[in-house]
Amino acid sequence: MNKTVNINLAGIFFHIDEDAYLKLQRYLEAIKRSFTDSQGRSEIIADIEARIAELFNERVQNNKQVIRIKEVDEVISIMGQPEDYLVDDEIFEDEPQTTYKRKTAPSKKLFRDTDNSYISGVSSGLGHYFGIDAIWVRLAWIILFSAAGTGILLYILLWILVPEAKTTAEKIMMTGEPVNISNIEKKIKDGFENVTETVSDVAKNVSESVSDAAKNVSSTVSDATKNIDFQKQGNKIKSSSKTFFDTLGEVIMFFFKVFAKFIGILLILIGAFSLIVLIIALFSVGIIDIIHIPGLDLVEIANAGNTPLWLASLLSFFAVGIPFFFLFYLGLKILINNLKSIGNIAKFTLLGLWLISTIGVAIIIIREASEHVYNEKYIEKTELQIKANDTLSIKMVGDTKFSQNFYKYHNFRLANDNDGNKMIYSADVHIIVKSTTDSVASMVIEKSSDGRSYDKSIERAKNINYNYAFSNSNLLLDPYLTTNPENKISDQEIKIILYLPEGSIVKFDKNTKHFLTNHKHNGNIVLSKGAGNFLEIIEDDTKCLDCPAKKEKEKDFKVKVNTPNLKINDEGIEVKSDSNSLKVDDTGLKVKSDVVKVNIDSTGINIESKN
Amino acid sequence: MKIENTKAQMRKGVLEFCILSVLKDNDAYVAEILDTLKNAKLLVVEGTIYPLLTRLKNAGLLNYRWEESTSGPPRKYYGLTETGKLFLKELNTTWSELHNAVTIVTSQKTTKK
Repeated sequence: MNKTVNINLAGIFFHIDEDAYLKLQRYLEAIKRSFTDSQGRSEIIADIEARIAELFNERVQNNKQVIRIKEVDEVISIMGQPEDYLVDDEIFEDEPQTTYKRKTAPSKKLFRDTDNSYISGVSSGLGHYFGIDAIWVRLAWIILFSAAGTGILLYILLWILVPEAKTTAEKIMMTGEPVNISNIEKKIKDGFENVTETVSDVAKNVSESVSDAAKNVSSTVSDATKNIDFQKQGNKIKSSSKTFFDTLGEVIMFFFKVFAKFIGILLILIGAFSLIVLIIALFSVGIIDIIHIPGLDLVEIANAGNTPLWLASLLSFFAVGIPFFFLFYLGLKILINNLKSIGNIAKFTLLGLWLISTIGVAIIIIREASEHVYNEKYIEKTELQIKANDTLSIKMVGDTKFSQNFYKYHNFRLANDNDGNKMIYSADVHIIVKSTTDSVASMVIEKSSDGRSYDKSIERAKNINYNYAFSNSNLLLDPYLTTNPENKISDQEIKIILYLPEGSIVKFDKNTKHFLTNHKHNGNIVLSKGAGNFLEIIEDDTKCLDCPAKKEKEKDFKVKVNTPNLKINDEGIEVKSDSNSLKVDDTGLKVKSDVVKVNIDSTGINIESKN
Repeated sequence: MKIENTKAQMRKGVLEFCILSVLKDNDAYVAEILDTLKNAKLLVVEGTIYPLLTRLKNAGLLNYRWEESTSGPPRKYYGLTETGKLFLKELNTTWSELHNAVTIVTSQKTTKK
């Protein structure tokens, strides 16, 4: 016993067993799935349903007969399995694609036409592209070559950059015709015709040369042979020139590729190395930040703008690292042809990150720079009881534990003072001496510092500590300045200006040498080389009191001449001629000639004359 | 490359040509076309003809009219349009060319062996 279902198939009424109905339903569903809407699915399904109805109708004798699973199986075997539709469907799938292509790519594309080439097919490719005969392009090239050498460069560039039309589709695209089956067919047919032509040509040539050979045998030289030989020669020349240019092209391409690979490797190395260095730098800065290595304090106090260190280092990492990353990526891309792209999102994210970082770094730099906009001075003036004829001796304090190790300019360090507080020390101390007509000497201590604003600058300048001691005509100066780390390193500087009355005497200790300048400017009259001597102050200058007088240099060179007639050596001078002689030595002077003799020695002067 | 695909592709081109040829002189409904094709053993299963017919119709090569049937649902009678006739003409020449070419190529192979 079976349950039946009533169905309406293409307007016809059927009784159908339930299991048969389910099978039929599955079948129609499967067919439906194998089509897409674009192919007119509903219409096809309707047609198929109508046909099935027809087939059922043939198998039903009267209205009361029920369609069983057997009939459904029969019909399915006639209509075909869903897989059969699927196979055909795959073929039809190309149809909408080709129509799509026809719409989008009717435009011409530039390819090198190697089928009609002399050198590399650039000219005939351009000819196709501009729709003119290749001969005009070639003429233009010749003019370009002869007129300007750059034409050759352009040609080689085109040769490298313009792809060769290899596939039939590309060859069709080159001429601007739409790529479809009929065109491809036409192209192939043309090719066939060419082949048949050449084949028939060859056949003709062969038959001709055979007959020529026959003629040769009968020792009749025919003109035809000459012609054919000439023709062959011509063909040979053309083919050899082709192969020559082809090989040349290959060689150039080979070197170009090798060069490109080399550049690629170089880029990868540069990129990778820089990235590694940057990453190490970033990590070490980060780690230092966390575990607080003492050396970092220096960075902290130098950081006048108070920018967080981690931010600055991260920003500079991105600002510098991302370009290197792209360099690295470029190198990889050159080396590996089908490298997977990192994707546009990643690219633009990196680009954005780079822009932000660069702007950030710029802001930090401006902030830091703005800390040095103002450079203000704070001046303290004191009188020193030094009058004319008094002697002032100036010494740096012996305790140079801070100054001995660091060089003169812009050398800041962080150290603990005697109370254990951290202080910034700097050796940026200069001494300038000027002469004055005042009766009493005076000392001006000029403290200067950079700052973001006038007030800040002045405040920092005030916060510079500088100590000196004056007693009994002895001036003891500190070789360094100190300031609280809060003030940061902002180019703090101490300038000591000594106004000394004319006629007074000053002695700078040797250890002040590095604190004196080397030049006389701004009225300075004592230079580094004057340290260690007593100097008398005169108007706008000094007079050295104990400088050793300049000794004349002893010219000490030995001359040794040893010729038969002239001898100059340690012993003296001896000049001889045939009958005359002159001799100067320890003993004295002897001159001898034919007529006179002069002797000067310990006994006295003796002149003998023969006349 | 599947042999089924190649076979189906070969058949597809020919099938279109054959359907048009069947309809050259007189209109026919699907069952009639199918009978002709099945007699010639060109078609194994009927189902594949429907997408083809729809495609040809959509391409403007065929049109159809409905006719009542004494036994069963109304039938679609297909006939060639003017473009269809031109198309068929062109296909005819192509076919004879192709036939020649194929014969030459295939027979050449056998003789050379």
